[in-house]
Formats: sequence, structure tokens, C-alpha cells
Amino acid sequence: MRTDSQSRNRQRNRWLFPLVFAAAIIAVLVIFNIISGGLFLEWSNLKVIISHLIYPCFIAWGFCFLFACGYTDMSIGGVVVLGSFATCALGNAIGVPGVVIGGLAVGLILIFINFLIFTYTKIPSWIAGISLAMIYEAVAVFLKLGRSTKPLVTASLASEYRVLGQLPWSIVLLAVGLVVIYFLYNRSTIGLNIRALGGNRDVAEKLGINVNRTLLAVGLITGLLIGIACFLQQSYAGQTTVKTGLTSINMIFQPLAIYLLAQIIQKRINIIICVPICAFILYAVFNILTVLGVPSGTLQEAFLGFFIVIFGVIGQRRAKGVVK
Amino acid sequence: MSGNILEIRGLNKHFGPTHANRNISFSVKKGEVHGLIGENGSGKSTLLSQIAGLYPRDSGEMLVDGEPYDPSSPIDANEHGISMVMQELGVVGNLPAGVNVFLGRTKQFSRFGIINLRKMRKEAEAQFEKWDLDAPPLGDMPDGMMIESRKMIELARALSVDPKLLLLDEVTQSLSLNNREKLYALIRRFREMGRSVIVITHDIEEMVEITDSITVLRDGEVIGTVRSADTTPDEIRMMMVGREMSGHYYRSDTAPKYGERVVLDVDGICVPGELEDISFQVHEGEILGFCGLSDSGIHSVGTAVYGLTKASAGSVRLAGDGTGIASPTEALKSNVGYVPKDRDNEALMIHASIRDNFCLPSLTEIRGPVGFLSPSKLKSLSSDMVERLSVKCTGIGQPMDALSGGNKQKVNLGRWLAKDLKLLILDCPTRGVDVGVKAYIYQLMNEAKEKGIAMILISDELTEVLGMADRLMVMKDGRITKTILRGNDFTEQAVIGVMI
Repeated sequence: MRTDSQSRNRQRNRWLFPLVFAAAIIAVLVIFNIISGGLFLEWSNLKVIISHLIYPCFIAWGFCFLFACGYTDMSIGGVVVLGSFATCALGNAIGVPGVVIGGLAVGLILIFINFLIFTYTKIPSWIAGISLAMIYEAVAVFLKLGRSTKPLVTASLASEYRVLGQLPWSIVLLAVGLVVIYFLYNRSTIGLNIRALGGNRDVAEKLGINVNRTLLAVGLITGLLIGIACFLQQSYAGQTTVKTGLTSINMIFQPLAIYLLAQIIQKRINIIICVPICAFILYAVFNILTVLGVPSGTLQEAFLGFFIVIFGVIGQRRAKGVVK
Repeated sequence: MSGNILEIRGLNKHFGPTHANRNISFSVKKGEVHGLIGENGSGKSTLLSQIAGLYPRDSGEMLVDGEPYDPSSPIDANEHGISMVMQELGVVGNLPAGVNVFLGRTKQFSRFGIINLRKMRKEAEAQFEKWDLDAPPLGDMPDGMMIESRKMIELARALSVDPKLLLLDEVTQSLSLNNREKLYALIRRFREMGRSVIVITHDIEEMVEITDSITVLRDGEVIGTVRSADTTPDEIRMMMVGREMSGHYYRSDTAPKYGERVVLDVDGICVPGELEDISFQVHEGEILGFCGLSDSGIHSVGTAVYGLTKASAGSVRLAGDGTGIASPTEALKSNVGYVPKDRDNEALMIHASIRDNFCLPSLTEIRGPVGFLSPSKLKSLSSDMVERLSVKCTGIGQPMDALSGGNKQKVNLGRWLAKDLKLLILDCPTRGVDVGVKAYIYQLMNEAKEKGIAMILISDELTEVLGMADRLMVMKDGRITKTILRGNDFTEQAVIGVMI
């Protein structure tokens, strides 16, 4: 067994990594600023980065709960599309309350349905998730057009109802979300039960944790977070475009990258706190690439993939595996 | 009210066509330490699992303190003052050790929905202190801990419900000598407090020593209950297997016997925090034993020699061609095998078939010129091994998790013996197996020794290394403190004196 002094050293080292990490981020930002000729750290540019990262953070937090219990849901992009469409329909009809209600209702209901399917049908979640994504995309196109033959449709929200996606309201929502989700994930019975389920389902079950109830709670929590992401996305971007053919999966690529980055450093910093930090790093990289004139799309995504690998190598360095 | 804390009358349990418990009746008195013993698959763990609320019984009656008892879950059993440390349950690796102690009962630390983790950790610490157990770092994740530390967390979890009846299923075999002594002290304390313990262990001598009475099970039935003070290990063995069986399954010779040719040369290996300047050689046909207390580093010797743990200094070389071993791939290529202590998590593909488990280390030998694996060769190798080792199974396609502990261990060890090995590292090879399988494993080791295979035997059981090794390395705090050659000094007293 480890000795007390080793344990004390570990406690000391707990604070070292966040400090070094923060210093490294600041150093990188300064370098970005120098490279961009002072453009990067201008407040207007930082506002663009911050505004952009809000809704992907909520989806990435949703992933934290989803992956913690050992499930993969590929239909989340489809849910965001339908939720955004509902946000537009209700928002344009009754204003900001409609924006919120539309996103939340669709997010909650659809993700909860997904978890009912995962829990009771025992179909592997990634298979069920892909099937559900195809259904949600088709439903979105059908609802918009009354038919499902046109491959590309767009829904727009009037600018006067987009206040929640703009600063400072979006940052207020992010801050409140961070605090609530931190406590829910780390300090609540349901949070511990969810993590126990992902860690060792047999142990969790034998220790009296109700597996089905816990999974449905994950569905509700993730649904709530995806619902918030729906109305924030629509309020920020103003419009959502969807094609059939699993294109909605593109919508979860960047939140997934945020989650992966956060997962890499979660041994040193709590994953819920990591999410907004990693989102900022990710969009800062995209931003500097854009400022430097790197074409958006494939080339930037190639940079992103490369960045995640490098980040992973650095983050896992000196992380000791299980030696029993 | 009767003086019994637990009474079981005519209990039956089926798993499909298997009648796991047949008309079981026995009782446990208040303040009694009661042993349950039997071969692997005799129904001991099934019986305890029903008492602990893990499985419902099919028929029969259970009484606790004279009242009908029918637990619907482990939590329900806890509420009746009964808790269990299971043989293979484990902990949740991604939650801190302190949280694991109270997992499933975290609401007591919750206020307005927020759990006070500091209070939970303090309470976990208090549990370890209360029962005088060594606590692992309670803020750390069990994923990086040794099996012994994880077992201690499970023990603290069972004790945290303040049980009046504690069920221990093969706990001692995961513990080293010092923690075993602490567990024995805990059992004595339970007895003094008027509380009761049911113990399952395959170590018959230990069972006779620590219990007041012993119930023997065979094929799911109670063969008899005896008072520990009035019986002998040989009598228990006979009741277990139904025939006379000698207790002398260890080597009977008193002198070391091995070839002169050095097979393995370990020179000054260091693993920070685990091993310090470890050097030794293993010879052809030699069994080199390693023993020590829980912090001694004996298990790290196995992982370092096999290349699982990276040494910061020193070298591990096969003598002759001087091949270095720095990874399990290199070890496997050099015909070095390793049987880890944690069979289910580190050794076996537990959900795969017996065939796949037997064939995995021998794929290089079996595969064809373009890498194809011939189904007939896979079948032939695994069928031969099943027959040779008398593995009790329905066929080579049966998943490993359906086998009893002893049969799993036969596959775990036997798959290495199917290869043309130079060196075999055995870390607690008889953990969780019954006396029959234990004798068989020692027989296999003797056969391997005769063939000239060098072996490193790491064990928490002193009698095992003393019974089987030619030389014994005693370790303390990551260092080798003494080397003892098989002979007159090969006694428990001599070794314990160096270990402590």
C-alpha cells in the first residue's frame, strides 16, 4: 500500500498541474497574439471565441454524463436539429419563453426516449443511436416541408428573440451551468451512482444502486443539457440547417472534441471544469487558424485532429498506468 | 429467543439445471466464528450470497435472531445487520476509495442534495481506525491500487454497516501476512463482542485455527458440521473430497535440487517506490520463491521481470543469448510466461471461451504461414489441455466466467504449460482454489521442474513457498533482505523473523 508521505506528495502535486496548465495556456495565448499581430487578444476577438463556445460546452457536459455511465448516443446531433427547429417555431410564435420551452422540451423528451430504448431494449447504444439519428433527421425535414424528399432545409429564429445566445446572457448561463453541473456530477448521489455504473456495473448493482432508475436519470440530465444547447445554438447562430443522411452527426463533432480534450486531463483537473477550458482552447485554435488565413473546413479539422493527438501525448505524459 | 444469530433450514437453490444448494441446514451461534468449506463448485459462495441478499432462495427458510429473514437485496441484508465481503465483487475503480466504502449509502452524507465528500472520507477513515485496518489513500482511485488494498476497501465497506454477522468469502487469500493477522484480530474481536462471522477459505489449516465450528459442503449438500477444536485438517479434507487425502502435497525433499545453467539474470533493477536494487539469478529446474509483507514489493518483482513495469535502472536478461526483457511482448517471444495474482482482471479474458483463453499465448506457434489460425489446431490444442488438466466444463466453447475458481486457474496456468517455456512467473498461483486443485497445481509445478523449466514463485502464503521453493528471497520495503536455501533454516520462524 502507498505510504502517507506518498499520499501527501500527491496532494501537493494536485495543485501543481493546474498552475502549470494555466501558465501554459496564457503563454500560448500570448504567442497567438504575437503571431496575429495583436489581433488575437483584442476584446472583440475574444468575445467571438467566448460566444462560440457556450452551446458546445453544454453538449460536452451532456457527454460527460452519457459516457460516465458507459453509453454512446450518436443521435444527439439529430436531437439538437429538432430542438433548434422547435426553438424557432415556438420562439417566433411567442418570443423568448418559446425559445427556451421549445429547446428544453424537445431535448428532454427525445433524450429520455433514447434512454428508455437503451435501457429496456438492450440494443447497443451506438447502434440504436445511429438509427434514432436517421429518424430524427427525417422527422426534422418532414416537419419543415411536410414531406421528406428535399435533402436540405433551414430554420431561422428572428433576431429579437436571440438574446440568450448573446453576451452577457450566454456567459451567465455558462457560469450557472458550470456550478450546477459540477455539484450534480461530483457531489450528488445521482452523480456518484452514474459514475459507479460506468466504473463497475456489477458492483453498483450489488451495492443497491437501481441501475434502470439511474440510467433514466442520465437520460433526464443529458436531455436537459442538450435542450439548453438547442436553444443556445439557435439563439447564437440564428439558424439551423439539416440534411438527411446522418449529417446531424457533424453537429456533435466539436463538442466531442472538447469532451475528448477534457477527458485527457481529467486525472489532473475535474472534467466538468475542464470542459469550458478545453472549449476555449479549441476555439482559440480555430480562431488563430482563421486569423492566419487557413481555410475553414477540412484543413482546420485536420489541424484539430493533430492538436488533439499532441494534447493527448502531453496530457498523458507521466500518467502512470495500473500496476498491481 | 434462541442463542443462534442465523438458522438455515432446508434451503435450496438452482441455476438452470444445476442444483447449487441442496436442502442446506445449519446454524450460527451468537459470538461464533463459523467456517464453510468445500471444493470449488460445492455451493459455498452461493449459500453466502443468499444470506447476503444477492440471490433469492428457491425454497427453505432463514431465521435471523429467531425471526424469519428473506433479504430482497444486499442493502436489505445490511439493514438486518448482515454484510459480506465477496470473493470476486471488487470496487468501482473510478470513484475515490473513501466513496467506495459508502457507495449505495451516500444519502447519509447528503444535505440539500449535495454530498459532503470530506465528511464521507473522514467517516471512511474512522471505519479503518475503528477496526484497526490499514487504510489505503482514501482520496485515490482504486484503479491504481493493488488487489490487497482493494480488498481492504471492500472489508471496510462491509464493516461500515456495523454488522452483527459478517460474511467473509475468501478474503484472506488476497491478503499478505500482516493484513491477515489484522483480519484474524478483527475476527477475534467480533467473537468477543458477541457478534458472529462466517468464513470461507481454502486454507484448511487456517480455517481450523480461526473458527469455532466448520460446516463441510460437497456437491451443494452439507456433509457435516464439526467443532474445530475436535477435528484435524486431514479429517476436513476427507469430508470435502469423500476419500482419504494426504496433506503432504508439498515437496518432501529437504535439499535444493536444480541445474547449474542460469536461465534468468536480473541485475540491479529499480522501480521507483516499489523495488530497490533487486538482483538474482534463476536456474534451470529451480523454483525461486519470493515472500514478504504487503509493502515488501514481492508482486512488483513479477511485473518487473515480465516487463509490465518499466524499471528505471538495471536489467532483466535471459542467460545464454542474453536477450533482454523490457516488455511482455519480448517476454512472450523469449518463452517466458506470467500468471498474475488477480486472475479475473489481469490474466483471463473472462467473457471469452476456454478455447480462446488456452490458445492466446500460443498463437505464434499455431498460426499458419500467412497468419491464418486453423480452427482445427485451436480446437486440438484446447481440447488436449482440457483433457490433460481435467477442466470441468461443458466444452471448449464455454465462456470462462461460467467456470469455478479452480477450473479458471487450471486454464490460467495450463495455457502456459502448453508452450515450450524457459521461465514461468507464478504470482499466488493457488489463490482461491480448493485443496484438490491446489495439490494438482503443485503436481504441475513439480512436472515443470522436472522438465527443467525455471520458475519464480511469488506467494503471500508462507507455507506454499516453504513447501515448494528451492531458494527463498525474503523481501522488505522493496529490497531483498535475505536469501535462504532449502534446508534446515527453511522454517516459518526463520522467515518471519526476517520479514518483520
